[in-house]
Amino acid sequence: MNRSIYISILAVFLMFGMLLSFQFRSNGSNGGGVPTERYHELTVEKLKVETDIAQLEEESNDLAVKIADAGRGRTTAAEAMEKELDKIQLRAGLIAVTGPGVEIVVKNDSSAQYGSGFYNIRDENLLLLVNDLRGAGAEAISINGQRILATSEVRQAGNHINVNLVKISPPYNIKAIGNPGQLKSSLEIKDGLVEILAANGVLVEVRQLEQVSVPAYSGGLGFDYAKHVQKG
Amino acid sequence: MWLGLWLGAIGLATGIIIGLNVPVMLPQAYAKFLSIAALAALDSVFGGIRAAMEDNFDNAIFITGLFSNALLAAGLAYAGDRLGIDLYLAAVVAFGVRLFQNLAIIRRYLLNRSKKGNSH
Repeated sequence: MNRSIYISILAVFLMFGMLLSFQFRSNGSNGGGVPTERYHELTVEKLKVETDIAQLEEESNDLAVKIADAGRGRTTAAEAMEKELDKIQLRAGLIAVTGPGVEIVVKNDSSAQYGSGFYNIRDENLLLLVNDLRGAGAEAISINGQRILATSEVRQAGNHINVNLVKISPPYNIKAIGNPGQLKSSLEIKDGLVEILAANGVLVEVRQLEQVSVPAYSGGLGFDYAKHVQKG
Repeated sequence: MWLGLWLGAIGLATGIIIGLNVPVMLPQAYAKFLSIAALAALDSVFGGIRAAMEDNFDNAIFITGLFSNALLAAGLAYAGDRLGIDLYLAAVVAFGVRLFQNLAIIRRYLLNRSKKGNSH
């Protein structure tokens, strides 16, 4: 009987001591320990932060996709604008072009009846030639290396002819890009320009070529007076 | 009587040494329940000392009291934790009150004994 009492006393104190030291250790191990409430609080906070992170990552991905879309949109717009600019420059005559067409040489016929100086080639002759070529669908025309623009003049200035305010002199070399057959036939038609000029002692030689190069307009492009009219 | 006291001291010292050297650590979340259980054990120890002083120490009551108190206190703390009520305070107050009562009774017995010893 007595022995069992002592054994139980020993066991209880052993357990009590173990509990105390366990408690002491777990509380002392990290600065007094973390209370359970605080532990739960931190767990909830951590979960919230994790969901926040997930949400923000999703948002970030979404924005990255949007940025990529915007970049793509801008490049396509820029490409479209560059294409449009190319087209407009081509139409305005600011780019050198090449293609099938005709080369026309206009000069005084030295073997003519009254000599080479009898008839001077005048601005009207060249204007009529340019006009005929345009009528036959010429896309680009140049006279002695001067590109004919929408604003180009062909004008008599004394003994010379000015094109784009540049003095040119015979022989006049006109290049036109278009359908070579149509261009040639529109000039050599019966009672056409070639015939009329030939009657006046001016030799007009029209050659069809596979490859004609027409240079770009090289002068200045000042629009000092004309302004945009706002649409609408 | 004195042998029991010595045995208790030896048991306490051994338990503390074992507890300090065991590599297993209890998780922080269970520290509260463990502390309540330790309080219950302390209450049982004081109760046992008082019973020994009154000469009606019963081993069965001592052991069952220890375990039932410890389990009830830990269970109460756990249930309170689940329900969001600080139920473990009830155990702390109850054990605290009993601790002081037991201590007061033990003190009187010791005082009475020393008086008797002096009068002899």
